[in-house]
Amino acid sequence: MRRATDASLPTFGTMSSKASESKMSSSQYSYIFKYIIVGDMGVGKSCLLHQFTEQKFTADCPHTIGVEFGTRIIEVSGKKIKLQIWDTAGQERFRAVTRSYYRGAAGALMVYDITRRSSYNHLSSWLSDTRNLTNPGTVIYLIGNKLDMESNRDVSYEEAKQFADENGLMFLEASAKTGEYVEDAFLKTAQIIYECIQDGRLDLNAADSGVQQKILQCETNPNVEKDKSCMQC
Amino acid sequence: MDVEDVLSDVVSMEDLKKFEKEYHNQLTTGTVSQETKFHYAWCLVRSNYPADIRKGLILLEQLIKHEANDDDAKRNYLYYLALGNSRIKEYSTALQFIKAFLHMQPENMQAQNLLVTIQKKMESDAHKGMAVAGALALGLSAIVGIGFALSKNLKK
Ligand SMILES: Nc1nc2c(ncn2[C@@H]2O[C@H](COP(=O)(O)OP(=O)(O)OP(=O)(O)O)[C@@H](O)[C@H]2O)c(=O)[nH]1
Ligand SMILES: [Mg+2]
Repeated sequence: MRRATDASLPTFGTMSSKASESKMSSSQYSYIFKYIIVGDMGVGKSCLLHQFTEQKFTADCPHTIGVEFGTRIIEVSGKKIKLQIWDTAGQERFRAVTRSYYRGAAGALMVYDITRRSSYNHLSSWLSDTRNLTNPGTVIYLIGNKLDMESNRDVSYEEAKQFADENGLMFLEASAKTGEYVEDAFLKTAQIIYECIQDGRLDLNAADSGVQQKILQCETNPNVEKDKSCMQC
Repeated sequence: MDVEDVLSDVVSMEDLKKFEKEYHNQLTTGTVSQETKFHYAWCLVRSNYPADIRKGLILLEQLIKHEANDDDAKRNYLYYLALGNSRIKEYSTALQFIKAFLHMQPENMQAQNLLVTIQKKMESDAHKGMAVAGALALGLSAIVGIGFALSKNLKK
């Protein structure tokens, strides 16, 4: 098992507890990032989403119908960011229509199953859709899922890492079942997007940047101290 | 872009036009494939216009009748019938469709989520309805008040 970490990345964290998350008014975040999750059917896209948004794993997850939607508020470098995640169906019958969800994604999680080589072989087709239908600035994260099934491994870490490097993708292996490295995938994607905003590589005014800046509305939550980030108050 | 749930997801004009064209092309040349019909219906039920949504629902009902023996396909159509109906506020019909789905596959989280979303929407719309009724009543009493004041003035 290997971990794709980078110590130079800025600190990140999630809301400390569910309770603090629900107490927050829905407008208490600075940005919205749009994500899409793509890849063959059955690779575990929906399980990754559910693990990330609800810390739940379903052993017998049925095929997604069209698209599923999930959100979670995270924190990157002290800024709260709402992730808006579109989990697309991998079944061929939905492919034509799920293509419309790529538009305006700031982050794309491209998933294959480390125990099923065919799902890895199809990556080039998923990658070309992702490249053609998103912006040049979209962060693409390759995820080898089902890391818990090491004994059935069909694609080596090295091979996939090489594919990722050749195509300029971020890469890690994760398990939606145990939850291992699931947070990392979602949070690191957000960090990179955030860095791109900070250094101006991502133009927020461009249509379809996949990022929306929110103006915090303090008056909706009297418990929150007014601070300088609330310029409208 | 601040989408809250699957019900607030709106089709792009570009997509709607594209799949509409495909559908009409097939209509004029002969038979429409189930696939094309489904793609078009999927776009229609996510439109902002109720007339489009209703058209999409008709197509979905045709599809579901045609593929009544394919459980997988049937569930897909039931899901979008529920989604489309709730987008035109036909909540009780929407609930019937999503419950029919859950009868076939009770543990399906996506369908459970849609059920909860529809129920929430129903509730918030009921509240809005009450607020509107309240505002109307206020407006009415204001008009009556003005009328009353005017008539008093005239009598002087
Ligand atoms: N052992 C193991 N099983 C997993 C993991 N992730 C998903 N699965 C199983 O793989 C199956 C498919 O998972 P899904 O999340 O539904 O796959 P998907 O990519 O969303 O599939 P589509 O919606 O059809 O595109 C389910 O039965 C899951 O229980 C994992 O990390 N480890
Ligand atoms: Mg899925």
